Amino acid sequence: MKEKDLVHKAQSGSEEAFAALVKKYRIKMFNLAYSLTHSQEAADDLAQDIFIKAYISLPKFQHKSEFGTWLYRIGVNTIKDHLRKESRAKIIPYDENLAGHAPQVDELAQREKEQEDTDRKQALYAAIRSLPEKYRIILTLRDIQGYPYGEIVKILKISPGTVDSRLHRARKMLRKKWAASKPPLLRRQA
Amino acid sequence: MKCRKIEKFILRSFDNRLNREEKDMLTFHLKNCPKCQTLYHEYQELLISLRSSTDDFPEFKPYFWERLQPRLKEQKQYDPWQLWKTWGLRAIPLSILMIILLVSASLFILPPPSEDLSDSGILLRDQNPFQESLPLLAEEVENPNMMLIFTALEEKNGARRYSP
Repeated sequence: MKEKDLVHKAQSGSEEAFAALVKKYRIKMFNLAYSLTHSQEAADDLAQDIFIKAYISLPKFQHKSEFGTWLYRIGVNTIKDHLRKESRAKIIPYDENLAGHAPQVDELAQREKEQEDTDRKQALYAAIRSLPEKYRIILTLRDIQGYPYGEIVKILKISPGTVDSRLHRARKMLRKKWAASKPPLLRRQA
Repeated sequence: MKCRKIEKFILRSFDNRLNREEKDMLTFHLKNCPKCQTLYHEYQELLISLRSSTDDFPEFKPYFWERLQPRLKEQKQYDPWQLWKTWGLRAIPLSILMIILLVSASLFILPPPSEDLSDSGILLRDQNPFQESLPLLAEEVENPNMMLIFTALEEKNGARRYSP
């Protein structure tokens, strides 16, 4: 069955149709939440919240955009709210040594490649987490989730020019932070 | 070309958002600028790492739908939009019908408004405001007693009258 038909059926109260939509988008919503929170628990809860909000607002969905785009918009707003609440609860300062915990050069040389990769990824996540919210969101949508420009414009309701400039700034900031947080050996290799 | 502008081109090149001319400019600059070459490789590494980061994402907890379903049912019970959709939308035509019935009933049942007897109302209807008193004025005062009273009054007030 086509997605549009599923949405129509779900709007008229079909639970099976809504279940099919959940099945289709649950991984995407979880990944979106995980890439912004880096917590499995929080991502799972957020994915559930997103679908509950979508279920409540579904009768108001007017098919002006794709269902996926609409759902992503709900997702981004739900995660934004969560991040704001979280930041109000505790402010985690950015620590350049957080990810790699600055291991010594000789120690690192002995480590296996897997450990290096893990460190690099941890450094990357730490750098992403330290970015301002709006940059984190646009990076997640474009560079992690791989969403096209046009869809990002619709999801965030901003102009293509703003998407372009925001993405440019976000990548620039991330590169600087990532380079600063890299362990010495990796920095030399780069 | 300045390296700062090249950085923009580098970032756009990863999204395939450069035209032919810009691509050539970027290639030419990168060949001659080791600093921008390093920058290009750094961005490349960064974007590859970002795009492959989903591979390491954990799987969501099992029974997602089974956990979601009872929460949805809870929402369904107290969903104000559903209540409005069920009852509110039906109430709109009913209330409009009731208003029409009440207005039409009031037109037929209620008495017509009383005639406007004010001076302005009468003048607007092009009527003489003294119409009712005209027959009285036309009558001659023949009562001798009344005549006497008027004469007496005239005499009393005579002193106060102005006489040029």
